[in-house]
Amino acid sequence: MSDQALQRAGVSISFRVRRRLPIGLMARYAVLVVTIIITVFPLMWLLITSMRSSADLFAVPVHIIPTSVTAKQYISVFSQYRLSSYLWNTVIVSLTTVVCVTALALPCAYALARLRLPGGRVVLFLLLIMRMIPVVALAIPLFAVFSSFGMLDTLGALILTHTAAKMPVATWLLMGFIQDLPKEVEESAAVDGAGTLRTLVQIVSPMIAPGIGASAVITFLFTWNDFLIALTLTSSKNAQTLPVGLTNFVTQYGIDWGPMAAAGVMMIVPVLIFVWFAQGLLVKGLVTGAVRG
Amino acid sequence: MSAALRAQAIGRRRGVPPTLALSKGYMLAGPALIVMAAVFVYPLAYSFVMSFFQWDLSAGSNDFLGLANYTDAFGSPEFLQSLRNQVIFSGASLTTEVVAGMGVALLINGKLRGLRLARTLLLIPPMIAPSVIGLNFRWLFNEQYGLFDAILRNLHLPLIPWLSNPNWALVSVTIADVWQNTPLLVLLFLAGLQSLPQEPLEAASVDGASAWRTFWSIILPLLRPVMFIALMLRIIDTFRTFDVVWLMTQGGPGGATTLITVEAYLLAFQGVDFGHAAAVSYIALAMSLVLLSALYGVPWLLARWRRS
Repeated sequence: MSDQALQRAGVSISFRVRRRLPIGLMARYAVLVVTIIITVFPLMWLLITSMRSSADLFAVPVHIIPTSVTAKQYISVFSQYRLSSYLWNTVIVSLTTVVCVTALALPCAYALARLRLPGGRVVLFLLLIMRMIPVVALAIPLFAVFSSFGMLDTLGALILTHTAAKMPVATWLLMGFIQDLPKEVEESAAVDGAGTLRTLVQIVSPMIAPGIGASAVITFLFTWNDFLIALTLTSSKNAQTLPVGLTNFVTQYGIDWGPMAAAGVMMIVPVLIFVWFAQGLLVKGLVTGAVRG
Repeated sequence: MSAALRAQAIGRRRGVPPTLALSKGYMLAGPALIVMAAVFVYPLAYSFVMSFFQWDLSAGSNDFLGLANYTDAFGSPEFLQSLRNQVIFSGASLTTEVVAGMGVALLINGKLRGLRLARTLLLIPPMIAPSVIGLNFRWLFNEQYGLFDAILRNLHLPLIPWLSNPNWALVSVTIADVWQNTPLLVLLFLAGLQSLPQEPLEAASVDGASAWRTFWSIILPLLRPVMFIALMLRIIDTFRTFDVVWLMTQGGPGGATTLITVEAYLLAFQGVDFGHAAAVSYIALAMSLVLLSALYGVPWLLARWRRS
C-alpha cells in the first residue's frame, strides 16, 4: 500500500470517529453531571442536616428527604452554644489580617519585582520554603514563644501569626501581577518626579487592583478557615474562633450534629459569597499563584 | 531596561547615590520581612534548637540531647505508624487526585453546556475550611445516622465500618481529602488544556491518531509544566494535612489515621514533649523537601545524563 493510501485510510478512520461523536458527547455530559453531583452533594447534605429537627436527624432508618424544615439548629448555635463571640473573633482576626497583609506585602512585592534588592533571590527562595512549612511546625514553637510573652489566648497573637503566615503567598501573588505591568508607566512617573512610594500608591496599585483583590480574598478565606493556629494559641472565648468552636459540639455524650451542621453552613457562607461574586479573582489568584509558585 | 539598571538610573537622575536607591528597596520590603522574620523564621529556628533538647516549658532547665529526639522518633512505634499512615495517605490521595483530576478535565474540556456552572461549583470545595469538611464527612460516614450507610442499606449492600475499622478509617480520611482537592486539580488542568497550542492536536487528528495516543504523545508532554505544579502543590499539602483528620478521627482508631502532623501535635500538646514534637515536625518538612527535590531533580538528572 502506498503512503497516500495509508493516509487516506487514516482520514477515513478519523471520519468514522467523528461520526460516532454523539455517543462520546453523551459520555462527556454524563461525566460533567456526575462531577457536579459529587461536588455538590456532601454540601447539600450539610445544608439539609442543618435545617432538620433533632428528632428527624436521629431517625433510623435515615430519612433522606426531611419531613419538615426548621431554623431551630441555627438558633441553638447562638442561644445554647453561645457561638456569637467565636464568630466575632473570626471576623475581627480575618479582616485585620487582610489589612495587615495587604499593607505589608504590597510594598514588599513591589521592591522584589522592581527595585534592586541585594539578596532578593534568597528572599524569594525563603518565601517558597515558607509556603511548604507544615502549620504544626510553626504552631508548636509559637505556643512556646507567645506563652513566654504572656500573649496566649489573645486576638493579637492570632493576627500577628496569620499576618506572617499568609504573607509569603500574598507577596508572591502580588509580585506576579506587578511583573506583568508595562514598566514604561512607572518610568515616566519617575521622570515626572514621583517618588517610589507615590508611584506605588497612586500608579501601580490601581493598575493591579485585581491582583490586590485576589490576594485579599485568598488571605481572608485562608485566615477564616484556619483551625490549627487558633487551636494551639487560644484556650477560651476571648480569642477562640469559629472552627475551634466547632469542636464544642463534640461532647462526652456524642456529637450534637444539628447545631454543628448549622455552624458548618455559617463557615461556608463567605466561601459561597466570594465564589459567586469574585470567582474570576479567586481563579486568577489560585491559578496564577500556583503557576508561579 | 532591567530593574537593577533602572533603579540605578533613577538614583542617578535624582542625585541620589546608588546605596540609597538600594536601601529604598529594603525600606519598602523591610516591614514585611521583619514581621516574617519575627513570627515565622524565628519560631522555626527556635523549634529547630528545641528539637535537640529535652524541652520543658514550665521548668527552666532544658537538657541537651543531641540527636536523641530524632533517633527516638524512628524507634517509637507510634511515629513509625504515623510514617506508614502518611505514606499511604499521601500516595493514595496524590494518585487519585491527579488521575481523576486529569480524567475529568480531559472529558469536560470543550464546548459543553453547563461547563461554566461546573467551574464555579468546583471552586467551592478547595476553598471550604478543612475542619468543616472533616466534620461533614464524619457525619456522612456516621454508622447509625450517616448518609452513606443509609444508601448502602437501601441497596441491600453490606454496611462499611467507615470510621471504626482502622483500615477503613484511613480510606475514609483519604476520601474526604480527595473530595476537597480534586476539584482544584480539575480547574488547574482545564486552564492548562485551554492554553494548549491547537496545531499539534489538529495534526494528530488529521493523521488519525487515537484519543489515547494523542493524550500520551501530545497532550501530556505539553501539559508537563502544569502537571509539575499540580504534583508540587499536592505533595506540599498532603504533608501539611491536619484539620480534616483531626476533626474526623483525631488520629484514631488506635492511631490508624495519625499522620505525621497529628503525631507532632499529640506529642506537643498531649505528651508535653516539645523537643520530640519539634523533631517530628522537622521530619515531616524534610520528607516533603526530599520528594520535591526528587520531583525536580530526577528529570533534570535524566536530561543531563541523556545529553552526556
